[in-house]
Amino acid sequence: MIPPPHDDDDALAAEYVLGVLDLPDRLAAESRIRTEAAFAARVAGWEQRLAPLNDDYPEAPAPDLMPALEARLFPQAPVRRAWFGWLSGLAAAAVVAGAVVFFRPEPVLDVAMLVNEEHGITYMVQHKGEMLMVSRMKGDAAPAGQVHELWIIPPGGAPQSLGLLGDMPMEMPYPMPPKGWTLAVSMEPVGGSPTGQPTGPVLMSATVSA
Amino acid sequence: MDDPVADLITRCAAQDRAAFRALYDAASGKLMGVLLRILGTRSEAEDALQEVFTRVWLRAGRFDATRGRGMTWLIALTRNHAIDRLRARPAATEGDDVLAALPDAAPRAEARLAAQGEARRIAECFDTLESDRAQAVRGAYLDGLSYDQLARRFDVPLNTMRTWLRRSLLKLRECMEQ
Repeated sequence: MIPPPHDDDDALAAEYVLGVLDLPDRLAAESRIRTEAAFAARVAGWEQRLAPLNDDYPEAPAPDLMPALEARLFPQAPVRRAWFGWLSGLAAAAVVAGAVVFFRPEPVLDVAMLVNEEHGITYMVQHKGEMLMVSRMKGDAAPAGQVHELWIIPPGGAPQSLGLLGDMPMEMPYPMPPKGWTLAVSMEPVGGSPTGQPTGPVLMSATVSA
Repeated sequence: MDDPVADLITRCAAQDRAAFRALYDAASGKLMGVLLRILGTRSEAEDALQEVFTRVWLRAGRFDATRGRGMTWLIALTRNHAIDRLRARPAATEGDDVLAALPDAAPRAEARLAAQGEARRIAECFDTLESDRAQAVRGAYLDGLSYDQLARRFDVPLNTMRTWLRRSLLKLRECMEQ
């Protein structure tokens, strides 16, 4: 019997929900979820259909991560946070960069270290003057057909792309990321995320702690 | 339908921090159980749990209570994150030690929840599958096994496993839609 054509899509949606696909197929499916409502509905259907299996997951004692989560998502610096609001970004960049230059002439500040132990990749993010600098200290760039994309995530906000990380260190004009903001690197198709939001797995992330 | 978890997620979407704390209290144990089972180590599960709750807060606005229960949405988000982590691991670390450490994917949930309609339905439908195929579907879902791992576990070629699983899934769907 030849299955009706939609069965292929439905089987793919089921495979995605089960989790059996390898990374490239998984990324391709995630991209379809975002762009094709019909496919997204199939995935949602399978999530519901298989949900009774969730009862087989036992509860496990969870550590109290609330303090860490609150520090990450709700930093205690409303004034500073307001300065860094995206809408006032340019003015803030000028004010803060100016202040840094005036009081401490262009020190190099460590912003975050992004580490993926499984892949043996480390990116160092630093800030100097008005520039954000990202260099790979260890490991290789993304394999052919893919690219590492750097994101910054304000507390309570959506990720913003800072650019693609290739073979050369990246430098870009950008204010010092405030404490509590998160930097992350995701695996994306060549050219970067087609949607403006991370589409691939997050390889590493770090929250700015000072 | 009464769904306190869904209410909490909806309040998180409205930036209600107290609801976020209550949601952590209500759901972190279950989500930790999911992460431990899929990722295998406590340290990685804890790391992932922080990431999961960060995403819950950031994505709460996408939750639609008319489309399903809150806990189902949380577990889907959690499983997706855990499986992304697994698949991003280099192939060499997906070795036999992972397989050896896997708990047996016995049909506990279906038996235990026989009183509930949905679960009874899926249990009946699993019964229509050959037992090794039902076990492969369960193992994939609960443990996050890849096609490659399933093929090795059941000692069949990868394409055979893929055909098995796809047929089993479509059969499940057909059965559940009856």
